Amino acid sequence: MIRLENVHKSYKLHGGTSKAVLRGVSAVFGKGEAVGILGRNGAGKSTLLRLISGVEFPEAGRIQRNMSISWPLGHAAAMHYSISGADNARFIARIYEKPIAETVEFVEDFAELGQYYRQPVRTYSSGMMTRLGLALSLAVDFDCYLLDEVVAAGDSRFAERCRAALLDRRARSTMLMVSHQAETVRAFCTSGAVLKDGRLTRYEDLDQAIAAYHAA
Amino acid sequence: MSSSVAEGTDWGRAMRIQFRVLGALILREMSTRFGRENLGYLWLFAEPLLLGSAIGALHHTTGHGLPGGLHVLFFWVTGYVPFYMFRSVINRAPSAVVANQSLLYHRRITLLDILLARNLLEGAAVMGTLLIFLMAFGMTLNLWPQEPALVVLGMISMLAMSHGAGLMLAAGAIYTDLVDRVIHLFTYVTMPFSGAFFMVFWLPTDMQRQALWIPPVHSFEMIRRGLYGTTVPTTYDVGYMVTWIIALNLAGLLMLRVARRRLVV
Repeated sequence: MIRLENVHKSYKLHGGTSKAVLRGVSAVFGKGEAVGILGRNGAGKSTLLRLISGVEFPEAGRIQRNMSISWPLGHAAAMHYSISGADNARFIARIYEKPIAETVEFVEDFAELGQYYRQPVRTYSSGMMTRLGLALSLAVDFDCYLLDEVVAAGDSRFAERCRAALLDRRARSTMLMVSHQAETVRAFCTSGAVLKDGRLTRYEDLDQAIAAYHAA
Repeated sequence: MSSSVAEGTDWGRAMRIQFRVLGALILREMSTRFGRENLGYLWLFAEPLLLGSAIGALHHTTGHGLPGGLHVLFFWVTGYVPFYMFRSVINRAPSAVVANQSLLYHRRITLLDILLARNLLEGAAVMGTLLIFLMAFGMTLNLWPQEPALVVLGMISMLAMSHGAGLMLAAGAIYTDLVDRVIHLFTYVTMPFSGAFFMVFWLPTDMQRQALWIPPVHSFEMIRRGLYGTTVPTTYDVGYMVTWIIALNLAGLLMLRVARRRLVV
């Protein structure tokens, strides 16, 4: 379970001002839930994922986690650009206590990078980085996956494989996906939430969430 | 890929994860810093070896005598190599956070882990280099360390001091880029005061007292006691060294903890 209690976050801007991104987010995400979090560009979706993952800290409020949570998946973070995809897989296997050879093989199969797998990550296209990032996180096998919409977009065959892999885990793991598109969320999620003006509103029914999002 | 990753809190498990993370970070640091091409990991020793030899050779050929009849090449090399470690740890600390931010996406990896891994690697490399030099001096000049344990302890004390200062610098660098800009100047300007290239007994009495306020001077004196034994006078205060090590590390940890909370990854 992940519990957010009155979470606030703002960022300092150049010139001494600051922008409040989250202003009192409270929510509980339980095991087996697949929640689509809808929000416009700049609503704070990525910030919310970064706080839940623990990469950044809230200014006020609490975040309790009693399950392992992936890093936010989507953009290319969480890997090293100067070493190869295979070396990244070895690194991940070491820190998350996974068998090294199997992890390297799993990531190679899943990410389908071909010979690029043995080349430095900095030579990858953004799509390749997304595939590598997702494959690495699936190799670790987290209890909860934090997904950015780009995972579902992109090359459609990979998106389909990724959907299958995540749906396969959904029974035993939690999934939080942020998106600004209702269709993307609909393909993955069973319930929804809307992030607007720094606050999060949960809806038991995904269609309700989508309706509220479009109405806002 | 069957069992999932649980986040346990018991101590044994926490320690195991800690060691795993440190090991993985050290291996990664080696491959990102040196790669697998040409000399590869040997560069770890090559750089301090070459610099140490160059400095030693320079002073050997210019041929100034040293008080106490100390061997010129031996003195400069054994002063420069520990100083190299000190400077390297301190100079590289401010850029450590920016250079490794992507690691923080893994909640198991803390800023302390990143700095610890770097500094342990640096320490091991420089201690390896010192060992190579000391073996070479022993075999060619028949100058063997009198109390090797003190050389090791002196090196460890210096590493621990630099690590503590490094934590503070890394934390400061999260607030302002100025830290990274100023530190190179600082280590350069303070080089003559570090104790790397003088011994306390060379100085007049009042200056000795002042020199002994500087923490790394004690480490250098301890290393030299280990090298020369009692053939020359050495002065160091273990209590003073330990106090500085604890103070720097505690302050560093505290600052890092505060800075981490406002770090934008």
